[in-house]
Amino acid sequence: MSTKVSQQTPEKDRISNGQKFAYGLGGIVNNLLGGAIGFMSIVLNVGLGINPALVGTLQAIPRLTDAITDPIMGYISDKTRSRFGRRRPYIFIGAICVGLIFALMWQLPPGNSEMFYFWFFLIGSIIFYLFYTMFATPWVALGYELTSDYHERTRLMGVMNFMGQFAWISLPWFYAIMENDRLFSDSVEGACTLAIVIGIFVAIVGAVPAIFLKERFAATEDDSEHKKESMLAGIKKNVAEFSKGLVTTVKRPEFLKLCAGTFFLFNGIMLVGAFSSYITIFYVCGGDNDMGAKYMGLFGTINTISTLISIAVVTWISSRIGKRKTFIIATSITMIGSLLKWFSYDPMAPWKVLLPAPMIAVGMGALFTLMGSMIADVCDLDELETGERREGMFGSIYWWMVKLGMALAFGLSGYLLNATGFVVEYGGAQNSSTFFYMRLVDVLIPAGAALIAIFAVGSFKITEEKAYEIRSELEKRRGNEVKEVVALQGE
Amino acid sequence: MYEITIINLKRFKMKFSNFIFALLLGGLVIYSPGCQEISEELADIEPDGVDTLEITMIAKSSFNPVFLSAKKGAFQEAAELSEKYNLLHVTVNWEAPENEDASVQAEMIRKAVNSGTDAIIVSCSDKDSLTAAINNAVDAGVEVMTFDSDSPDSKRFAFYGPDDQKMGKMLISRLAELIDGKGKIAILGGNPHAPNLQERVAGMIDTLAQFPGIENVGVFYHNETEDDAIAQMDSVQKMHPDLKGWAMVGSWALFGNKLLEKIEPGKIKIVAVDALPVQLKYIKQNYVQVLLGQPTYRWGKTTVEAIVKKMHEKEKVKEILRLEAIPVTIENLGGWSRQLRAWGYTNIPEEYFVL
Repeated sequence: MSTKVSQQTPEKDRISNGQKFAYGLGGIVNNLLGGAIGFMSIVLNVGLGINPALVGTLQAIPRLTDAITDPIMGYISDKTRSRFGRRRPYIFIGAICVGLIFALMWQLPPGNSEMFYFWFFLIGSIIFYLFYTMFATPWVALGYELTSDYHERTRLMGVMNFMGQFAWISLPWFYAIMENDRLFSDSVEGACTLAIVIGIFVAIVGAVPAIFLKERFAATEDDSEHKKESMLAGIKKNVAEFSKGLVTTVKRPEFLKLCAGTFFLFNGIMLVGAFSSYITIFYVCGGDNDMGAKYMGLFGTINTISTLISIAVVTWISSRIGKRKTFIIATSITMIGSLLKWFSYDPMAPWKVLLPAPMIAVGMGALFTLMGSMIADVCDLDELETGERREGMFGSIYWWMVKLGMALAFGLSGYLLNATGFVVEYGGAQNSSTFFYMRLVDVLIPAGAALIAIFAVGSFKITEEKAYEIRSELEKRRGNEVKEVVALQGE
Repeated sequence: MYEITIINLKRFKMKFSNFIFALLLGGLVIYSPGCQEISEELADIEPDGVDTLEITMIAKSSFNPVFLSAKKGAFQEAAELSEKYNLLHVTVNWEAPENEDASVQAEMIRKAVNSGTDAIIVSCSDKDSLTAAINNAVDAGVEVMTFDSDSPDSKRFAFYGPDDQKMGKMLISRLAELIDGKGKIAILGGNPHAPNLQERVAGMIDTLAQFPGIENVGVFYHNETEDDAIAQMDSVQKMHPDLKGWAMVGSWALFGNKLLEKIEPGKIKIVAVDALPVQLKYIKQNYVQVLLGQPTYRWGKTTVEAIVKKMHEKEKVKEILRLEAIPVTIENLGGWSRQLRAWGYTNIPEEYFVL
């Protein structure tokens, strides 16, 4: 085993802290938008009396539309030519529109039927997700291309992931804010007001990356070709190119390894999220909701703090030993943490449930820090082989896969809970076999999924050396023809 | 050493932009706990216009652990609701005679009304003796709800308790499973004048019709003491030495250790209502196969919740709210023991918690 010295990031490839911060603000907005509907939808049931099954449908349908709109937006952004770049116009307009529509979709007029609210919110949601895609897909892609440097990418993703965590911290407060009877007459009024505040925040903060960041690449095609084509021929050509690009993207082995790694690690943990709460409340705390909630709250706090610390540590370590090795170490720690849960569920010592929290957080902190950076490396490899910069396509497919996996995990979680024999009316008095299976699922699924993720990413071929080789080739090929777009306002 | 210090100092020289960046990140780090602190501070400040809802809870007796767990449920629910509603403060006053005495309960109701309580929840030791007291309270503008033991002819707005017929059905269904649907069984009926117990017996008799292979040798009543219950069992078993099962509407025979010496574990299958700590050894040692536990903690929790729903939320509350019994077997003895502990019960053997 040879000891390598990592390459230093050249000055021209460094992203200033201000630019990292501007990009990170997009991370806050992205996470906020991703989670806000889910956290606020309880109002539809509790405040407006909409059937929970219909509320579930309202959340599921946009996932289907995402499957179509995400890659299309990625393609459109990749192919856009404008003097403002191919990402920033969409981020700017998308942020304002998504903020506006978010504020509007929660202005639910009182005194209407269940089906009125269903359709009102469904139409609002579909439009919301369209604009959300318009903002998020180019923003993700922009992150992949802000720097060509192997390590600087990780640092950028680290800052983004770190800042993005604050959205997740604030989301659980939404229900308490909407339900606050000192501020609002009811939760529906609370949702109306909160949505306006969030909408304004999203519109302003979400536009910051578009204003302060500069793009490095323009679309690589020759404009003259398009001018000669009729509209129909242009559409046909775009559909063909889109399909070809989609196939090329999903067939790229290195990309698929990252998708598999994310899918298993992330969804393995998401799938059993509810199990951990149930086991803590009903097994460890014997059905004492107050005590269970206290430990779950502490678990969440330790997890969040550990995630923030692990993002910083992972970013630092990856610049020493490389992204793949860092991912494997971080995911292994998470796997050990998951296995540790078997011993930490102790009804005689409830505090032990807190022990695995920091270890589980490590993998999650590493995941979205390293994956974003590694996808950027794949985009370079893709450019080397196809001659195109397709960050939009890669980013959209990756994030759609994450969102779909999350929806599947939440759906499957309920079935798994039923399969263990859990009867909610029995509270803490479940059968021993039920608790045994619940614990088994809670331990084995994330640990097994982490192991698969390690194997998937373990064979990822773009090492630091390889990444610099690719970059060198690309630099040679581009020569002086690198199209750097003049930003509206750069450093 | 000196050199290293210089190098380190140089390394830590910070550009202004870095400083601002670090400051912002630091701000974000403290943002979360900061928010929480602000909210907590706000929560501690009593805002203007807070309504206080005072509930008086009257149990049958002050030392019975089932009522102590109900008390815990009521207090915890009041605290949770006070936290949930910023403009409502819920308090619970606990009252109970030392021993069951309906006249003392009636006096407690009267005193609570005079002291200005907003609502009363009561488990009636005697439905008839308390009807007048409950009606007077309601006429004085106090909302009354009953739990565990009802006063159906009074003006109380709701009752929370078990469906006794359903419990009887559950017991026979479980016993039938244990004896493979054939053989002689007997019913231990407790006090023949207690309406709730007789509802359970009626549920049992109804369900027995579904099991033609089972012969019911009779319903046997007795005084509600351990000795009387065991004596009745003894005499029935002597008359029917081939008896395969007992269905008990109450657990008087299991309230001590005497039955442990009288019967052989597992030979006669036993199912009974109630699953208090003192009875759990019978399950552990296989003397009893199924106990129907009542989540007594919910007596307090659900009644307080219903009163707040009616009086603060102005929502309609169903007149009869049903408490679902939980079957306790060797399979969930550990879970049930932990649940009892969480509800405030004591004297549960520690080894049960890790089952």
